[in-house]
Amino acid sequence: MRFLLVEDDRMIGDSLRAALRMEGHAVDWVRDAAAAEATLGSEVFDLVLLDLGLPQGDGLQVLRSLRARGNATPVIVLTARDGPGDRVAGLDAGADDYLVKPFELDELGARIRAVLRRQAGRAMPLLAHAGVTLDPATRQVQRDGQPVLLSAREYAVLELLMQRPGAVLSRAQIEDRLYGWGEEIESNAVSVYVHQLRKKLGAEFIRSMRGVGYFLDTAKGGAG
Amino acid sequence: MSSLRARLLLALLGLLAAAALLLGGLTYRNVRAQTEALFDYQLRQMALSLRDQGEVAPAQASALVDQQLDFVVQVWTSDGRAIYASRAHEALPQRAQLGFADVVVAGQVWRSFSVTLPSRVIQVSQPLAIRRQLAADAAWRAVWPLLLLAPFLAAAAWWLSALALRPLQRVAADVRRRDEQSLQPLPADGLPDEVAPLVAALNALLQRLGQSLDTQRAFVADAAHELRSPLTALKLQLQLLRRAGSEAERSAAAEALAAGIERAARLVEQLLALARSEPGAAAAPLQPLDLSELVREAVADTVPLALARGTQFELRADAPVRIDGDRAALGALVRNLADNAVRYAPPGARVEVLVAAPDGVPTLQVDDAGPGIPPAERERVFDRFYRRGQGDEPGTGLGLAIVRSVAQRHGADVELGDSPLGGLRVRLRFGGGGAAA
Repeated sequence: MRFLLVEDDRMIGDSLRAALRMEGHAVDWVRDAAAAEATLGSEVFDLVLLDLGLPQGDGLQVLRSLRARGNATPVIVLTARDGPGDRVAGLDAGADDYLVKPFELDELGARIRAVLRRQAGRAMPLLAHAGVTLDPATRQVQRDGQPVLLSAREYAVLELLMQRPGAVLSRAQIEDRLYGWGEEIESNAVSVYVHQLRKKLGAEFIRSMRGVGYFLDTAKGGAG
Repeated sequence: MSSLRARLLLALLGLLAAAALLLGGLTYRNVRAQTEALFDYQLRQMALSLRDQGEVAPAQASALVDQQLDFVVQVWTSDGRAIYASRAHEALPQRAQLGFADVVVAGQVWRSFSVTLPSRVIQVSQPLAIRRQLAADAAWRAVWPLLLLAPFLAAAAWWLSALALRPLQRVAADVRRRDEQSLQPLPADGLPDEVAPLVAALNALLQRLGQSLDTQRAFVADAAHELRSPLTALKLQLQLLRRAGSEAERSAAAEALAAGIERAARLVEQLLALARSEPGAAAAPLQPLDLSELVREAVADTVPLALARGTQFELRADAPVRIDGDRAALGALVRNLADNAVRYAPPGARVEVLVAAPDGVPTLQVDDAGPGIPPAERERVFDRFYRRGQGDEPGTGLGLAIVRSVAQRHGADVELGDSPLGGLRVRLRFGGGGAAA
């Protein structure tokens, strides 16, 4: 998953980015409203973590103009403003969730998963396809009830594919979701991860469409 | 005696008593003087008319003598035989001095007038007590209406004072109805001129109190808000430390946590410094001190930071400069200025700190080669929690607020300008009280 973190405080930003990276997400970090507007105008993210008190502008304004452009990227507001009026204003401006600082990383993780679930139109916390289940909360993957060990990147690729079975994702799209700015992308990395996943989950689990990308075959069925 | 009404009443009654005494006394004296003259004249006239008439017929004599005025007429022959007495008065002397005389008889003073004829002596006498009695009666008649009036006057005064004091009671009731939250001004319409200044002063005090409360509330709200960021960072850093999988991750997380704690501690320290320097805080008294020495000591705390950043730090504070100051507060001021200069300038830049007393004005000047502050922002940077841009330096936004607050306590001007070094020049000039040594 590729996240945009908008946070002016250097220490908070550092820690959040490190924590989200540990979970296998790609995190881009901007520190003021203008940079946030510019980035959101030109790039696609799976989720935005937005601080409201920003230098040179207000986070709520960033959120409003994002929604005004018709951009439905899920946004979780992270802020020190904790009045009920602030929460209402934040949610009404188009936020999907509102988390008051200071918060627990575990709670942030749970809320991120919940928001992404809603975004994908699912209420069930487990992703399942063709005998493979993926639990975004525990990051555990099972094949026919047996746990499968995956690296963070492998997990990220699998999660992307399982979120929308049948949809074809290009290599570039997957890379884009896997790597933040400044992270070096190893060539062929995506094919390597897919290869590893096929070894662990079955050769037929991930299908490729030459020149287009990868997908999970819905014809083989599976609850999702 | 704390009641205004009782005081007024007592004063009024006292005045009444004094007036009655004075009036009575004066009347007594005047009437006494008049009766003296009048009765003496009467004594004399009576005696002379008796003399001129020759033999006194008893009926005539008794007509002369008013019983109430207690005249006593005695006539003697020249050889001393009493031939007439208006009434027997054995106590009166049988011989008399001629003309007016005061005669004491059995403890009573008599006034007498005597004339002699070749054949007899005529004496007319009257007890002096009669005259005093008359004067006292007159005095009493003058005084008693006053005494009769006293209770009515007292009652009127009691009622009038209640009427006059009613606005005060209204103000008191207004004040009593308030709780500690309602600081609206008291209504001042229709108050008498004597009470209006009190209410006006009270309202002014309420207003100042309200402003000070607002300032305090804003400060506490700001402080709570500002503490959130460092605490959030601490919490995240701690959680990262717990999640760290490798030794390298763990040591990086521990380092970040240490930096976070450092930052939170610094913010708390700065908040305390600011709270102590705010007006109204129980501040230490200003004492004579050497500004140069104080700056040398305070700047020593910044030296490690300067060394770490390769800053060329130059301190020129050689001659003693005497001012009256609060050592701890001034130390915080100097540390903030020196820290800012080092922190916001690029590594390896120059910082100059100068203490001098040009023209006898004690001056502290800090120059740096940092980015400076544009003139438009030079007033706002003194606001609490105002931070310029995003900067990588974890400032608390309180440094210059502390500087201004401490400077104000010392009657010093703070001036921000452009430094010849290319960055910011901060100059403090201590007005009054200080002199170069």
